Amino acid sequence: MKIPISLQINGEMYQVQVPVQKTLLAVLREDLALTGTKNGCDSGECGACTVLMDGRPVNSCLILAVDAVGKQITTIEGIGGIAELDPIQEALVAHGAIQCGYCTPGLVMTAKALLDSNPHPTETEVREGIAGNLCRCTGYVKVVEAIMDVSRH
Amino acid sequence: MQELNYWEPGNLLEAVSLLSNLGEKGRPLAGGTDLLVKMKQGPANWNGIVNLKGLTELKGIAFDGQTITIGALTRVSDMMADSWVGLHFPILVEAARSLGTPQIRNIATIGGNLCNASPAADVALVFLIYEARLHIMGPKGARKVPVQEFYTGPGQTVLEPGEILTAVEMDVPPLNSKGVFVKHGKRKSHEIALVNVAVLITPQPGTKLIARARIAVGAVASTQLRLREAEESLSQTVVTADVLERAAELAEAAVNPIDDVRSTAAYRRQMVRVLTKRALQKAWGGER
Ligand SMILES: Cc1cc2nc3c(=O)[nH]c(=O)nc-3n(C[C@H](O)[C@H](O)[C@H](O)COP(=O)(O)OP(=O)(O)OC[C@H]3O[C@@H](n4cnc5c(N)ncnc54)[C@H](O)[C@@H]3O)c2cc1C
Ligand code: FES
Ligand code: FES
Repeated sequence: MKIPISLQINGEMYQVQVPVQKTLLAVLREDLALTGTKNGCDSGECGACTVLMDGRPVNSCLILAVDAVGKQITTIEGIGGIAELDPIQEALVAHGAIQCGYCTPGLVMTAKALLDSNPHPTETEVREGIAGNLCRCTGYVKVVEAIMDVSRH
Repeated sequence: MQELNYWEPGNLLEAVSLLSNLGEKGRPLAGGTDLLVKMKQGPANWNGIVNLKGLTELKGIAFDGQTITIGALTRVSDMMADSWVGLHFPILVEAARSLGTPQIRNIATIGGNLCNASPAADVALVFLIYEARLHIMGPKGARKVPVQEFYTGPGQTVLEPGEILTAVEMDVPPLNSKGVFVKHGKRKSHEIALVNVAVLITPQPGTKLIARARIAVGAVASTQLRLREAEESLSQTVVTADVLERAAELAEAAVNPIDDVRSTAAYRRQMVRVLTKRALQKAWGGER
């Protein structure tokens, strides 16, 4: 059963036909070529697939595309590009908090939502806020420093 | 992956009638954090999804000064942010904070945590000690079931095909009571509990007596358990180290855990004793 749906992503409407079981993550990557959002585990564990839904970070691998209809979705493509980086992206670069970069798009989305709702978090709040974004490379210290740095400006 | 059928009913009665017609072939979808994981694991005996998202009557939290009613579709993160829940049911918030990750908590619903009927579920465990009543709507009408009568086995509940959990209702416990939630896992963040324990102690005002104790444990039997014998051993007693130790031993004797890849039964049983004692000490100590 394929269903025609409209998704609102980064302020634009996209029309697609999707099988019921297809996740939002798969539609972003395979149907809409929005490949900034990564697939790490496809099971809710790693946070690489994090997007914002009505402003809140969620795992796009655990949401059916048909279930995302009517929500405002923001992906990393809606945050900043090479020409104009978001302050969070700038800080991650400046602090050397990016190594392989696979976790970075998801991490940026989570950090963005965290700072939007709590502009001056404590270090503990930052650590708790990013607990759902696994990073195999950096050891988190530089990531936390980068986010704290943004919150001070 | 098999073909699935999909519906988005606009109200509760429509959802009930769709699910009744589908019978064993249908599944309600709330947040989907359990359902999608199962769907990805391969073909199931169900092939129809009924999305509950249009059922506005299942959303929101209402408090009348005595009883709180939490809609089944309430997200875990929204329940954590509710000020009445925080004031009168603080260990519900504790348990919610330990559930998954921030991203999972923004998707997962409290109804899903109950209906999934995992013996390790964190929020559901705390409903046991607050003696929640579950509101259920089905083809034969509405009914209320005490949460301690809800589970029939791992992943199994008294819900009949077509029945939907609509809300969870709880009375405010005595104001001098104190609760504690303890979750034991292998690491700090987003891990399913090896053992989880929730206790609520109500002291007899003006005395050193416990008036009433409630103890619930998870992940150590085919369903979550209230430990009545251990609770009884505490009621109307003066708290001493021996009394707490005795209650913890009764707790250990009442559970029936299994060996699995994450831990052994013997370890889990021992953890029930240790964690029950620790939770009781903390709940009592915090009171004086
Ligand atoms: C990475 C990860 C980590 C997790 N960590 C934890 C954890 O630490 N602690 C914990 O307790 N859980 C954890 N979970 C499990 C899960 O997130 C919770 O059980 C969650 O509360 C389920 O809610 P949901 O809305 O997503 O349920 P869904 O997946 O939508 O539904 C679960 C089941 O209940 C049924 N159902 C849902 N709502 C209703 C209703 N109103 N009436 C009738 N039936 C209904 C569905 O048909 C389905 O069978 C984790 C899951 C993942 C993926
Ligand atoms: S890909 Fe979604 S959490 Fe890992
Ligand atoms: S930079 Fe490699 S996983 Fe985070």
